[in-house]
Amino acid sequence: MLIENSKLALASLAANKMRAFLTMLGIIIGIAAVIAIMTVGNSLQQSVKASMASMGVNNISAGFSMLNYDEDSSSSEITPLVQPQVLKDMVSTYSSEIQTISVQSSVGSGSVRSGNKTAKVSVSGVSAGYFVAERTSLSGGTFFTPHMYEKGSNVAIVSDRFAKSIFGNNLSKALGKEFEVNVDSNYTTYTIVGIYTYKTDNYSFDGSSGKSTSTPVYIPLKSAQLQVHNTDISDFTVVAKDSVDTTALASEMQTYLNAHNPTYANYQIECYSMQSMIKQSTDMSKNTTNAMTLIAALALLVGGIGVMNIMTVSITERTREIGTRKALGAPNEQILLQFITEAIIICLIGGLIGIGLGIVMGNIASRVMGYPASISLSSIAVSMGFSMFIGVFFGFYPANKAAKMNPIEALRYE
Amino acid sequence: MESTNTTTMIHADKIIKSYYVGTPNELEILHGISLDIHEGEFVSIVGASGSGKSTFMNILGLLDRPTSGTYLLNGSDIGKTKDKALSGIRNHQIGFVFQTYNLIARTNAIRNVEMPMLYAGVKGKERRDRAIELLKMVGMEERMHHTPDELSGGQKQRVAIARAMANDPSIILADEPTGALDSHTGRMVMDLFHKLHEEQHKTIILITHSGELAAETPRIVTIRDGSIVDERRNQAC
Repeated sequence: MLIENSKLALASLAANKMRAFLTMLGIIIGIAAVIAIMTVGNSLQQSVKASMASMGVNNISAGFSMLNYDEDSSSSEITPLVQPQVLKDMVSTYSSEIQTISVQSSVGSGSVRSGNKTAKVSVSGVSAGYFVAERTSLSGGTFFTPHMYEKGSNVAIVSDRFAKSIFGNNLSKALGKEFEVNVDSNYTTYTIVGIYTYKTDNYSFDGSSGKSTSTPVYIPLKSAQLQVHNTDISDFTVVAKDSVDTTALASEMQTYLNAHNPTYANYQIECYSMQSMIKQSTDMSKNTTNAMTLIAALALLVGGIGVMNIMTVSITERTREIGTRKALGAPNEQILLQFITEAIIICLIGGLIGIGLGIVMGNIASRVMGYPASISLSSIAVSMGFSMFIGVFFGFYPANKAAKMNPIEALRYE
Repeated sequence: MESTNTTTMIHADKIIKSYYVGTPNELEILHGISLDIHEGEFVSIVGASGSGKSTFMNILGLLDRPTSGTYLLNGSDIGKTKDKALSGIRNHQIGFVFQTYNLIARTNAIRNVEMPMLYAGVKGKERRDRAIELLKMVGMEERMHHTPDELSGGQKQRVAIARAMANDPSIILADEPTGALDSHTGRMVMDLFHKLHEEQHKTIILITHSGELAAETPRIVTIRDGSIVDERRNQAC
């Protein structure tokens, strides 16, 4: 019977092609808008997720945050610091969960001159964990040895960009070479032990593009502390072991640090896991996508009302036919089913065209915005289900009206 | 000759039909009609326009219910039968032929004839074979793939008769079947009814305002102002 009803519905739609198409148009636009928006949203989420994941999904950043911002007092307050001993104790407390710890201490920005070539650099002392946290990969040479870290040797890991600009395109020539950096009129000579691959596509929280004019030069943490006569730590990053719940660890670390570190009146230590940041960020874009999808769904609702309208007209036009069918023995539920099938078929055909159009639109929009298009399969399933629901929901009222017609009145209808 | 079978197919007793019941505008159309029709009879119900003959036919055809009175069809009390069951009885036991044919415009003759079988749950191939057979019986084999728009009035009515016969019903109710036809095609249609009556022993109830057509049937019931005023056997048949 379903096949017969579908055939009847298709024959009825074929008899009024233009009207059927115009009715479908509302559904087509609605579904296409929903699919396109969900595709763009999905692409954006995937892109942000991938970009943030490349920065280390196991990372937990820790630092101080101001509780109440007060302009008058903020300038006079001292900088809050994490006690190295507290940090050490924390690492040993959570040693089963922590892989390594990344601490960075800035020496400052300066310039390197070699003959007529100049390069701007920013010098930072880093702990061994820094390269793990940042997922640094080397183009040549090695990372610092434990001995270099302990001694505070004047060795450096520079970027391939820096090496090329100072020592030419052959990177191996730069290894073992010395260069002198001028930071605030203090000249220090470093020996290059490693060359890292400079990344320009990092997703940056501080809004910087990643294409800064100066490239970072890394030296062992102790070297930096000796140069600036300062062992202060104001922030650090923990790399958790795989399969550790970083969000839970971040929360435990935060409690531990605030309990053990000397307290500051207006500051507290906060720890954020990269996973929670990814979640926060994807949640935010998900919410935006959902809000926009809801607006697009309104177009679908209007399309559904269009279907109801045209079905009502169609049933009025076919009153005599309904009367005849009833006289020939069609039960009410059969008439109901016939017209609901017709509404569903309008919505399904419209839905299929809309999905095709939505995928094309979503792909174009994603590419224009610079994200790899990621079609949301769930949105296709939801749209198909939703368009069928619209067919049933908006087709039910007119179909029920037809089913309940008095056969005599229907037969007499002019 | 009239069938000698005496099984009562239709037993209508004191049928009253009123509209706007319970309002000041209550209008009684049928005033207690009683009529028995036996299996295999060819009866014409004659009356002028507004006499109540079509209202009576609607009740006999289970399209409407009487306000009061008893209607037994093959012994079943229709007043106590639910709507869904009435649909089934209409589908299997009654074939309708309307003055205005009432064919479905978008579909061809075969599919129009198939329709009652579709509701009866007859399978595709069997349905189609039966529809073709019936269209051949009414002489429409040449035009069975045509839609109603492409058929003449007489051809449409022949398709409608084939459709009425689809589920091999025991009763055929024909409401002014020649009313929209010229005398020649009207004759052809009447000949078909005679053929169905004589060869297949169908019970045929012909509703007409034409005394001339009624004169062709073995039994004539005359209705005037909602009551049977005359009922006689036609000696010529």
